[in-house]
Amino acid sequence: MLDESEDGARSLLGLSALADGELDPAATRQACSRWHGDAAARASWHAYHLIGDVLRSDDLASDTARDAGFLNALRVRLAAEPVVLAPQCVEAGAGDMEAVSDRRAARGSRWSWLGPAAVAAGFMAVASVLVVTRGNAPLEGASDSLARSSAGGSAVLTAALPVPGAASESAANAPDEPQTLVADGKLVRDARLERYFAAHSQFGGSSALGVPSGFLRAATTQAPGR
Amino acid sequence: MNVDVDAPLIERVKRGDTRAFEMLVVKYQRRIERLIGRMVRDVDLVPDIAQESFIRAYRAIPQFRGDSAFYTWLYRIAVNTAKKALMELKRDPLVSETALASRDEDDETSRVENELSDGETPESIMASKQIAGVVNAAIEALSEDLRQAIVLREIEGLSYEEIAEVMNCPIGTVRSRIFRAREAIAQRLRPMLDARAGDRW
Repeated sequence: MLDESEDGARSLLGLSALADGELDPAATRQACSRWHGDAAARASWHAYHLIGDVLRSDDLASDTARDAGFLNALRVRLAAEPVVLAPQCVEAGAGDMEAVSDRRAARGSRWSWLGPAAVAAGFMAVASVLVVTRGNAPLEGASDSLARSSAGGSAVLTAALPVPGAASESAANAPDEPQTLVADGKLVRDARLERYFAAHSQFGGSSALGVPSGFLRAATTQAPGR
Repeated sequence: MNVDVDAPLIERVKRGDTRAFEMLVVKYQRRIERLIGRMVRDVDLVPDIAQESFIRAYRAIPQFRGDSAFYTWLYRIAVNTAKKALMELKRDPLVSETALASRDEDDETSRVENELSDGETPESIMASKQIAGVVNAAIEALSEDLRQAIVLREIEGLSYEEIAEVMNCPIGTVRSRIFRAREAIAQRLRPMLDARAGDRW
């Protein structure tokens, strides 16, 4: 009981620090999860900002019903929006894909793994054609990195497969998962791809095919140059 | 000094975390609505335009580079959205509430929400005044340390590091003082907020 209330107080302390932008990324992630599942945390987050607003100006005072009504109405519209994914951030924290898959699972999209799977298969085909047709001395480096990348591609595939069912579970209690995926992410996206993305500001098509499609195009345009 | 206090949440949103965006909405909705309220006379339109502004911000957030503070950026989006709504109204003055957006299926619900979130009912004006009164009284009742910490943060906009320098104490102490100040005020506020919470958070 004591532990529970201490834990609650600590998480509210974290929310308070987050309100001031003084929380590190890992703790921010936890705070966001908490906001999602904990009504008390949501009420506190609102109260802290309401207090700040009223301190700055009395006419910013507003009651909870009004503010909550605003957010609930907005949620309806947000649910109809495609999930935002900025490429460089996906790369930096591939584990956070769980938040996206969380939403996809919530929408009942059972086939979201098909996109990455198809792209990974396509990429494997490109990689093997290159290895077969131009597999000797001058291409050693390229085929080598392609082979590594394709290993990464299948890793992404396996990571993507269990997502719909396990998403909410992993969101709640698997803080270790992102590390594995980040490692996979490094395999998939080497520095040249990053430079390519940076140069082309690639956003990679729809959200379903977002990351992998950019990855496929990058691979096909770069490999022959080696 | 921190360039943008919202950077950690923006990063979350860019990684596909809509919860982080909801947190930003809760943070800024009052300021955005007040801003729009000053531009648009029809109070019924204010929540609609504010919603549209947040949706546009959400769509554009992958392009947000953090060159300015998030609020500055959001402020600009809200101003542009309000201007656009005003121009549409001028062109078609008969259409009011639903003039805004390309949303057909949402109209029913948003109409209901408008009634709920109408800022101009006597009850909600009264509630706002009460809330302001409670917050100000609670600030007065704080110990000097706590009051100074939260005022330096919320009104002066100083970072924890700067407050630590001003108050000559460790950053951890600043963090805890600001938190305790907020909790002390929130505790007085909660009975009132909970009683009025028709919608749950």
